[in-house]
Amino acid sequence: MIRAENLTKSFDGRNVLSDVSFSVEKGEIFGYLGPNGAGKTTTMNLFLGLLSPDTGRALVNGSDLATDDEARRSVGVLLENNGFAERQTAVENLRFYADLYEVADPGDRIEELLVMTDLLERKDDPVGTFSTGMKRKLGIARAILHTPDILFLDEPSSGLDPDAQRMVRDLILSLSASGGMTVFINSHHLDEVQRICTRVAILAGGRIRAEDSVARLTASGMEQTVLVVFEEGQATDDAFLFLRSLPMVRAAEREDGGVACTLGGEGRAADLISALVAAGYRIEEAKKRSASLEEIYLRYVHSAEEAS
Amino acid sequence: MKLLLVIARKEFLQAIRNKGVMVAAFIFAIWFPVFTTLGVLTGISGDPGTALGGHLANLSVVLAIFMGYLFSSDAFFREKKDGTIMTFLCAPVSLRQIWEGKVIGVSMAAYGMTILSVLITVAVAILLSPVGITLPLLLLVHVFVILPIYAAASAGVIGAAQLYLGMRENQFLGMGFIFLFIFMVFGLQVLISPEGGITILTEVFFGLMGIVLLLVGRRWAGRLSKERIVRTIA
Repeated sequence: MIRAENLTKSFDGRNVLSDVSFSVEKGEIFGYLGPNGAGKTTTMNLFLGLLSPDTGRALVNGSDLATDDEARRSVGVLLENNGFAERQTAVENLRFYADLYEVADPGDRIEELLVMTDLLERKDDPVGTFSTGMKRKLGIARAILHTPDILFLDEPSSGLDPDAQRMVRDLILSLSASGGMTVFINSHHLDEVQRICTRVAILAGGRIRAEDSVARLTASGMEQTVLVVFEEGQATDDAFLFLRSLPMVRAAEREDGGVACTLGGEGRAADLISALVAAGYRIEEAKKRSASLEEIYLRYVHSAEEAS
Repeated sequence: MKLLLVIARKEFLQAIRNKGVMVAAFIFAIWFPVFTTLGVLTGISGDPGTALGGHLANLSVVLAIFMGYLFSSDAFFREKKDGTIMTFLCAPVSLRQIWEGKVIGVSMAAYGMTILSVLITVAVAILLSPVGITLPLLLLVHVFVILPIYAAASAGVIGAAQLYLGMRENQFLGMGFIFLFIFMVFGLQVLISPEGGITILTEVFFGLMGIVLLLVGRRWAGRLSKERIVRTIA
């Protein structure tokens, strides 16, 4: 559905994207992550045909949106700016885009979306009187107004309160699950991405540093960490020193009333617990921890920064 | 054609709901023409109808150009500045269609305000003139054929320039552009009709000049790229 082939783009001699390649399949929710200036928006603009690549191709449904006006019908877009005429009402704005995209029965569709985004009561108010969050919700309604196959979202939750963020998350999940819509999300909101994206790519310094499913990405490449909480009354300080002396423990830190142990080499959680029990320590709780997407993201971004 | 009208309608509604621009346009439409016309009436030596007709013909072209500039700033410059145009560029319409639709919408508002100005000016002149005034029929051709061309040409050239130029360049060059536009038209018009009256020759000149300017704007818009617009937003 979406394919980047060896995309390279520079502005005034400054390389913004270098040989970026990836693809997104139908029905996927793809998170495109990266720090400010990494080239996320440039990549999205290349897909949307707003910029032209120096080399490579950015294809959406097999088409180059820069040259194929009709192909843009299958794409919905929510950019940083919501794209509304502020002196026109919510209905007038949606009606304008419905006419541009030649939506059948626009009145019914507009009402359906206004109900879904909880904006029906404000439908006849100028968009300029809306709060940032309301404009964002209306922007999402506009983006899906013509029931596109592919949705490009740039920071969709920006300016939304937690309730509205949840509404947006649920909406994206339902569009992907029931409608088979492919969603491409540019975001800094890592928690949101971890919750909804099936796959992510991490962009730093103009290059893709990692690309995989969230589950595989958080499981791979990270050392196993085990948090051990001892029975009340146990000398945690003693246990801490004991754990640091074990060859299988690469690092240990006091945390959450226990000790977080990072295992190195062939170390396994079961061996760690056996060693503690054999040494007479009574364990209240032990749990393995996987890295969060944020930890993975920061690791890749920092290593890219160090490399450059 | 349907898409052009959809875009034009949106731009027209935006234009006429912009209170700041409407007030500025209204003041300019009344104050400037009425006072200059009163000045012309006091100094008339020949037929007042001919003198007033020539004055109105020139004045209304300046007004149409200025109104085109005033309303196009909102449709092109502001939309570019705040990024609204980016979403528009992602819609299934060509850049040329966007430009054409905007020009139609903007020039409808600009032309409407110009007509209002001409009507008020004529009414004031007739009411305050000590002698009866019979305006030349050619003025009707001017009002209904020439003025819409100038409103559209002004909006079109300035709109294309606003899409093409960067934000800072736009701020500096906006007014310069409009004066260049007006002086070019009237500099050439003086060569055609030194006495300044309204004749078939001046109307043909105004018409051809307006069409050339409109085509210049259209050609410029055709050479624009989305990349150029996006990269000159910052």
